[in-house]
Amino acid sequence: MSLRLKLLLLGLATLVLPWGGCQYAREMESALREGEENSLQAVSQTIAASLQGRTDLLYREAPPPADAPEAPPDETSGHAFLQSGPYDLKPLALTAAPLLDGYSDDWPHDPSAWAYFARDDRHRFGILTGVYERMLYVLLEVRDEHPLFDAPGTNPLDPGTFGDRVWLGFQDSQGEERQVFLAATAPGAVTARRIETGEYGQQSAPLEPRIRGAWQPMSHGYRIELRAPLSMLGNGFGVLVDDRDGRGADPVSYGTLRSDDLHTLGRLIVAAPELTSYLAQFMQPGLKLAVSTPSGRVLARADALAQLTGLGAETPILARLYRRFVDRPGTRALLESSAPIYDRDHKTVIGELEVTQTANRWIRLRDHALMRMLNFSLSTSAVAVTLMFAFAAWLALRLSRLRQASESALTRSGLVTSFPETDSRDELGDVARGFSTLLQRLNEYTSYLRTLAGKLAHEIRTPLTIVRSSLDNLESEQVPPSARAYLERARQGSERLNAILIAMGAATRVEEAIGGAERVSFDLLPVLESAVAAYRGAFPERTFRAELPTEPVAVRGAPDLIVQMLDKLIDNAVDFSPAGALISVRLRLDAQAALIEVDNPGPALAAHVQGRLFESLWQSRAGPDSRPHFGLGLYIVRLIAEFHGGEATALNLPDGSGVRFVVRLAR
Amino acid sequence: MKRLVAIVEDEPAIRDNYAAGFTREGYAVRTYANRAQAMSAFAARLPDLAVIDISLEDEPEGGFELCRQLRALSAELPIIFLTARDSELDAVSGLRLGADDFLTKDLSLAHLIARVNALFRRVDALRRPDTPGEIVRRGALTLDAERMQAQWDGRVVLLSLTEFWIVHALARHPGHVRNRQQLMDAANVVLDDNTITSHVKRIRRKFQSVDPKFDAVQTVYGMGYRWVE
Repeated sequence: MSLRLKLLLLGLATLVLPWGGCQYAREMESALREGEENSLQAVSQTIAASLQGRTDLLYREAPPPADAPEAPPDETSGHAFLQSGPYDLKPLALTAAPLLDGYSDDWPHDPSAWAYFARDDRHRFGILTGVYERMLYVLLEVRDEHPLFDAPGTNPLDPGTFGDRVWLGFQDSQGEERQVFLAATAPGAVTARRIETGEYGQQSAPLEPRIRGAWQPMSHGYRIELRAPLSMLGNGFGVLVDDRDGRGADPVSYGTLRSDDLHTLGRLIVAAPELTSYLAQFMQPGLKLAVSTPSGRVLARADALAQLTGLGAETPILARLYRRFVDRPGTRALLESSAPIYDRDHKTVIGELEVTQTANRWIRLRDHALMRMLNFSLSTSAVAVTLMFAFAAWLALRLSRLRQASESALTRSGLVTSFPETDSRDELGDVARGFSTLLQRLNEYTSYLRTLAGKLAHEIRTPLTIVRSSLDNLESEQVPPSARAYLERARQGSERLNAILIAMGAATRVEEAIGGAERVSFDLLPVLESAVAAYRGAFPERTFRAELPTEPVAVRGAPDLIVQMLDKLIDNAVDFSPAGALISVRLRLDAQAALIEVDNPGPALAAHVQGRLFESLWQSRAGPDSRPHFGLGLYIVRLIAEFHGGEATALNLPDGSGVRFVVRLAR
Repeated sequence: MKRLVAIVEDEPAIRDNYAAGFTREGYAVRTYANRAQAMSAFAARLPDLAVIDISLEDEPEGGFELCRQLRALSAELPIIFLTARDSELDAVSGLRLGADDFLTKDLSLAHLIARVNALFRRVDALRRPDTPGEIVRRGALTLDAERMQAQWDGRVVLLSLTEFWIVHALARHPGHVRNRQQLMDAANVVLDDNTITSHVKRIRRKFQSVDPKFDAVQTVYGMGYRWVE
């Protein structure tokens, strides 16, 4: 793994920051939610307390006269509205006014809210009541196999024209029993009529315009939808259906009114219209208040859930994206709280107050904080990652410079004077300085080694001269023939020593020769041609092939040195190839350089060898050899190649059959 | 009367061995270990030939200084440098000081004596100017083997003994390639390739100083050299 990648990963570790932020946001959210719930609970308790004993609001119970003596608690009746009789009607709190058209589709679908009254199988009706604002709405579905309208255009009081009729009986606000009836001559709008007895006993049936509705037939009966202002209505309320099978026939009467005097049997248990406006004063956007009976029927509600809470419009895309990472599923619910409403004596629960609040309020608060925090920490992360990446790149660049310098410093023979990064004050600079020092010491050491051969040769030469001159003298003396052989061996030994001395000094002499060489422009072709011809004579056990271009190849340099270099290459090729091998000497040209290639079959170069082949005093010969070797041959090749502005390289032949040495010479 | 050879050499074993060799050849030999000894002796009597080591006891370049002083005493006295050092620079400076030859100590005693004999022959030949010696003429080149003297277009080219023998070996058979070994044999030296190359280079330069167009010594790469007329 590269340094860059490592530091990049390290930089990614700063993503812990936004992650921690998310955790914090969640904590904050639940704390906020808890606080909101508490305050909502306080709100609901406050409102519930303010409604304590307000049976007048909740159930339209007339307030006791202020000056009336405290009535003894009536244990039996208690709060009568809390017990429901069989004829009591409990209107729904409607959220919208139904259109008075005789159809039920704009009513809430709530089968449990229907009340049914039946006389027998064929005579029964269902009634659904609801309150919206100050109106009572009634939906009446009457089962009647033979729906019968009044005869049109007749006196509604003429018994002979009577069709099916529906009586509404109610107590007015003073507690007086009153009745109206609904009679229709055709489907459609219908208005109630009341029966009035005039001064002289004559009866009339004027319209009661406050009670209006619509009459529509339905299968097996008819449906009446009507409304009446609550202000007209007291506690008692009932419906009586007169079902006639023919006009003027005796009706089958059934319902929740006494059939003899049409007095109410049941009550209308409904909140005062003022309750809604009372609740409205507590309203805030995003809040819903509802008062219900202990049994759960909603009496009144005030709803502002859908209203915007004023904390900003639609959340930005970024915030929604963040929310996806932060939100746990199922957390975005409504806040709900409820409190019981007690009666005046704080004994009986007369109702329940439910307060609902949208989650938006605190979620927006949280989103706001979350977004700022995430924006901040993510950009911090991005900056950190970028900086780390840049730093890593810079570091890698410096390191690679250092590596290149250390590599090239080793291959160069001269002193490494300028090493990069040594002026840096950081640890890398320390490394560079360490490297530089090390390389300088190495350089001193190698140059010592290089001169060692020459020095050694010089030091050995004097004693060798003593030996040889002594032998020379000894030969002139009277040496018995038996001792001749020893003399001869001593001479051979000293000759070999001498050869070793010459070989040891070879590199030094080449360096001197290079120092004194003159560069001339010359044609490489004849040089190579004649040299290869010479090798054919010198090494009869090898075959030589020269692959040369036809055009002259002009280079600048010293032809003597080129030949010496070739000598070393051929020596090397001969040493490492079997007898009879074909050694190819090739001259190729590319754009900048002339390339001399010497191929020889033989063992391939090991990978670790390739970089060091051309170093001074280095060799990888396996077997012993009659000639002395000091690992200078290829070093001389390198020196001469570098003198010609080129370089020497060695590689294995693609088919692995041998080795190729390539010398580039600048043209 | 025996010719007197002076050997200035700080290594006693070598000094005595050389002395023994020259004595056996019939020369009178005087040996000196340092420059002071040698100079005081030379002031009294000049030898006929001097073999001088370059580094003498505590003077690393004492031989050069001695050569200079000796040349001041006599212009004709043959001087041979014999040294353990084989650096090109030493050879050049030695020859520039007027030495007749510059040899390394890996030269055998027999070779050394052959050179000394040759130098004495030259001294003799120079003293008998009227006697013509063996003359080799190759175009502009005239080689006098007796006096070991080379002329190009009638102008003398000053060659060291080794250089003369190399030129002689090449010019005797023009067009024939002489390899390095042959040249070494002819010059009675054992040299490595680079030294031969620098000898040839020096020869060319000396001839070119007389005739800038000189081009008679040709390199046959990988083989040797030949004389081209």
